Amino acid sequence: MDNGHGTLRSTIESCFARQVASFTTSAEFLALETGSGGSGQYDAFLENVARAHLRSPQLLAFLYALAPPSAAQDLRENLLEELGLDESGGRPHPDLLRDLLVRAGLGGRLATVEARADEDLRRIVVEPLLYGTLRDVGLAALTEIVAFEYMLSRVSGRIARALAEHRGLPAPALEWFTHHSEVDIRHAEQGLDDLEAYVRYYEFADDEALTIVEMTLRENVFARRYFRDFVATNAAGGRR
Amino acid sequence: MRLVAATLYALRIPFVESFSHSAAERRWSDSVVVRVRDDAGTEGYGEGTARSYVTGETVEMMLAHLADELWPRVADRELPAVDDLDAIGKFLPETELDGVIAPHASRAALELAVLDCALRRAGRPLASVLPPRRNRVTYSGVITGGPVARAVQLARQMRTIGLTAIKLKVGSDDDVARVTAVREALGPEASLRLDVNGAWSFDRAVEVLNAVAHLGIAAVEQPLPRGAIRELAGLRHATTIPIMVDESLVTRSDADELIAAGAADLFNVRISKCGGLAPSLAIASAAIAAGLGVQVGSQVGETAILSAAGRHLAAALPAVAFVEGSFGTLLLAEDVSIESVRFGHRGRGRARAHGGGMTCEGCCDTRSRPGSGSITGPSRRRPAIRKTRRPEFSSDSFAPARIPCSVANTGSRRSDRPPSMRGECRSETTRRSGRTSVGSCAVSREC
Repeated sequence: MDNGHGTLRSTIESCFARQVASFTTSAEFLALETGSGGSGQYDAFLENVARAHLRSPQLLAFLYALAPPSAAQDLRENLLEELGLDESGGRPHPDLLRDLLVRAGLGGRLATVEARADEDLRRIVVEPLLYGTLRDVGLAALTEIVAFEYMLSRVSGRIARALAEHRGLPAPALEWFTHHSEVDIRHAEQGLDDLEAYVRYYEFADDEALTIVEMTLRENVFARRYFRDFVATNAAGGRR
Repeated sequence: MRLVAATLYALRIPFVESFSHSAAERRWSDSVVVRVRDDAGTEGYGEGTARSYVTGETVEMMLAHLADELWPRVADRELPAVDDLDAIGKFLPETELDGVIAPHASRAALELAVLDCALRRAGRPLASVLPPRRNRVTYSGVITGGPVARAVQLARQMRTIGLTAIKLKVGSDDDVARVTAVREALGPEASLRLDVNGAWSFDRAVEVLNAVAHLGIAAVEQPLPRGAIRELAGLRHATTIPIMVDESLVTRSDADELIAAGAADLFNVRISKCGGLAPSLAIASAAIAAGLGVQVGSQVGETAILSAAGRHLAAALPAVAFVEGSFGTLLLAEDVSIESVRFGHRGRGRARAHGGGMTCEGCCDTRSRPGSGSITGPSRRRPAIRKTRRPEFSSDSFAPARIPCSVANTGSRRSDRPPSMRGECRSETTRRSGRTSVGSCAVSREC
């Protein structure tokens, strides 16, 4: 369906692309990639990545509960993969993140990072809801998950190279990043389909859905999660 | 009960997106948080927000004024009975500061900390002193300055989260187009008011207000610069849109003058701007007695501490036209409290009546990032304040620290949850019975 800015899917994808561009051109990302950041910045980045994704299985489980029939299979497969229970027999993704920290010499920080991830999850639950329905909350959550898949499919390889080169991390430590650079190309495409399916199943008007997408992305969600003290300069996620 | 120690924290918490209006653009909060401790070890937290274009204070001024003028006058003094809010207010001296209208943000930060400490010591909630008259407070959304398209986008977002009262920042060449576009995006039912931050001349005010009057504007805030009381009174007669004063209203004498001159239909009472909860209550009460409406406003970037106090005030007033604030993590990258004081769907926030102190339990991130902080406190300028060793923490130290601060009821729950606030405490000043220390930190370990 055309909403005057292109199809809903293409409009959302454009929002994601702008977010990725904003993220990869941020001073923080450039410092990471060029090696101009100090070792403390790399350590903080690694902790922030782990904090952002350690509880992804819980979020995926929530989304699976809300999934429209046509998207339920994708979300279930994502959830099982995240838990290391899919057919590929891969390791649970949270374990890859734990490995990342341990191999980076940050094992002593693991308990704190886990606690912070728990706290982030708790806050999501206890904060007053901005939206009036679970339908809207679910769209916001799905948007964020798919946005990360979209970004990781395009950027995680670059991040892995930067961490190997400037932080000296060996390939096994970087498996979480390399895994996402491979599988999230497929996930991101599926995710965009699932987002559209969700919007249609729950009968959002396009403008209504796009407004929630914009609200979810408005703070440059990647920079906010990975560089915790990122200072916003403008809103990068909106329709243009 | 005597106060024996105080610690000042200059917070700098990034915004999730920049916020601008005709007087300023802001990308992070500039709050000063005060922690006081009494002789029994009870702590209380308060907050003030420095605004050079409102009270005239800067963060640096606040730190110096609190350390050198306000704190010495309350340290080691016996606190008045906690059930007398007015007496708590009067416990703090009225001070002056060269070059500012009134050092009210400093005063508010200390007053709230003292009040919180006294209430916690007594095991009483603020609601026992300032009883709520309503169970729920409904907040307005605020649309920042910037392009019209962005204002429309924000208006849509606010409609999506159910906000029914919106304030629109204006004060540029495209004001009429901006107001028209936002009204269209909001629909006819929403309450829409304008905030000019003193950017218009009298003639421009008449021109714009006449042009947008048919759009159903609930009020226009600070259309003219501070000081133009006679012109404000004239403008009231030149437009049908109610006039609200904000920057014109800092002190109690401002309030009296504005009332006497018939210069306003509404007062915007903000706790930081007006010097604390007690003076804000007094100004709001004077306005209501004079037949004016009251908006309980906020400074952009307030943390949960001022948000909590503002909610108490809004819940306690006999009549309130609009309420602003409690944006929490909608604006701040993270807030300081464990329990959110942010409003929810439709802008609603619960007025809470239980728990100790101003009743919001929080914590702050105590990360140290050596070298990332900068000492902006008075130690660099005045040898009277002794700079001491850095706070005792290292770059990998994350110790939970709870701010038993101000509003949301959490009963007596204590939390061992990890810290949750990021941001940057640009400086820390601690004074204990004459000994003052200043440390540079990311977020203070003392917190």
